[in-house]
Amino acid sequence: MDPVVAAGLRISGLSYVLIFVVLGIFYGLIKLLLRTLPRRDDSA
Amino acid sequence: MLRGIVGMSDWRVWAMFGVGLALIWLAVKKEYEPNLLLPIGFGCLLANIPFSSAVGGGFLDVLFKGGITNELFPILIFIGVGAMIDFGPLLQNPEMLFFGAAAQFGIFFTMMLALLVGRIPGVTGIPGLREAAAIGIIGAADGPTSIYVATRFAPGLLAPITVAAYSYMSLVPVIQPPVIRALTTREERMIHMENPEHEVSRTVRVIFPIAVTLIAGIIAPMSVALIGSLMFGNLLRESGVTERLSKTAQNELSSLVTILLGITIGSSMGGKQFLSPTTLLIIVLGLIAFVFDTAGGVLFAKLINLFRKRKINPMIGACGISAFPMSARVIQKMAQQEDGSNFIIMHAVGANVAGQIASIIAGGLILALVR
Repeated sequence: MDPVVAAGLRISGLSYVLIFVVLGIFYGLIKLLLRTLPRRDDSA
Repeated sequence: MLRGIVGMSDWRVWAMFGVGLALIWLAVKKEYEPNLLLPIGFGCLLANIPFSSAVGGGFLDVLFKGGITNELFPILIFIGVGAMIDFGPLLQNPEMLFFGAAAQFGIFFTMMLALLVGRIPGVTGIPGLREAAAIGIIGAADGPTSIYVATRFAPGLLAPITVAAYSYMSLVPVIQPPVIRALTTREERMIHMENPEHEVSRTVRVIFPIAVTLIAGIIAPMSVALIGSLMFGNLLRESGVTERLSKTAQNELSSLVTILLGITIGSSMGGKQFLSPTTLLIIVLGLIAFVFDTAGGVLFAKLINLFRKRKINPMIGACGISAFPMSARVIQKMAQQEDGSNFIIMHAVGANVAGQIASIIAGGLILALVR
């Protein structure tokens, strides 16, 4: 396979997976915040 | 005096006048992204008038160097966008983040396609990975990210990439419905989804933009400028103590930078560069990117449904593209066409703002990984 195409395939695949990983971390973060912090502000 | 008239003998001048006027027509008559297409169209006219004083050292060149080359304008736009976005629907329903991720598929599919097309003998406009990545990022469905990446990787292709990105964003109501209908059954499109009822506290809303900036920045430092400016704008909005700054970011800053960005991008549409087979190729590849973004999101939702008891309306997957809030509106309209009592707008908006975050992360990752 053309080395440039192979590099493109590797970078595309890795980037797509990494987006899921990063957003998965954000998902965990939001879940954690919602679980540990009160749902309503006291001042509200 | 006469050199301007003599310059009109070049057919490319007339062709670019046609392109500029077509963009202005689309903005005025069809109201397709008028805030951007109108300044771009007029900038195109200014740049293509023979011996124009607006370019060649003129004010548009100054703006290009001061706002595009150094990536300032897209960053400032993101502060305004961040101040406009309400992440509430996403924070209420964080599962929507994954649809934002899935709907970035078009970026990478198109990047590979551009790379393969660029290897065809005779095709000269896409010599390597950087150019292919700059074209693929049209699939981010996010103008500032497209401009940011194209400025770094393929400044010569900036104009057609920007025009394609904004044109297709405005054409989301035309592009997405047929793709969604082709990939879903009527029964799937009629699936109802319960709206989350819990509230999101101000504390969570304030912590979220700060935490996202730090996490994204540490994982992909190249995304800090983009995600940081978006989240800074959002923090101005959600802090509750900087209302004046938030309003300024949403209105004056956004409007001012949009004017400057649009007319400056238009000024980069010189006939010699723009009128090439590569531009045509970029226009086609941009459409493919939007189609495969939509398909990626919908198919991901269908995949998830295989493992869930409470099914997701797969149209929500299509909202994972970053064209906000256009895509969410389109999907809600489609849901109502199938079943007048189906309201999935909150989920759609959640996926849509997730797409905004995902597209920036995609841009940052591409900048970090492509050499």
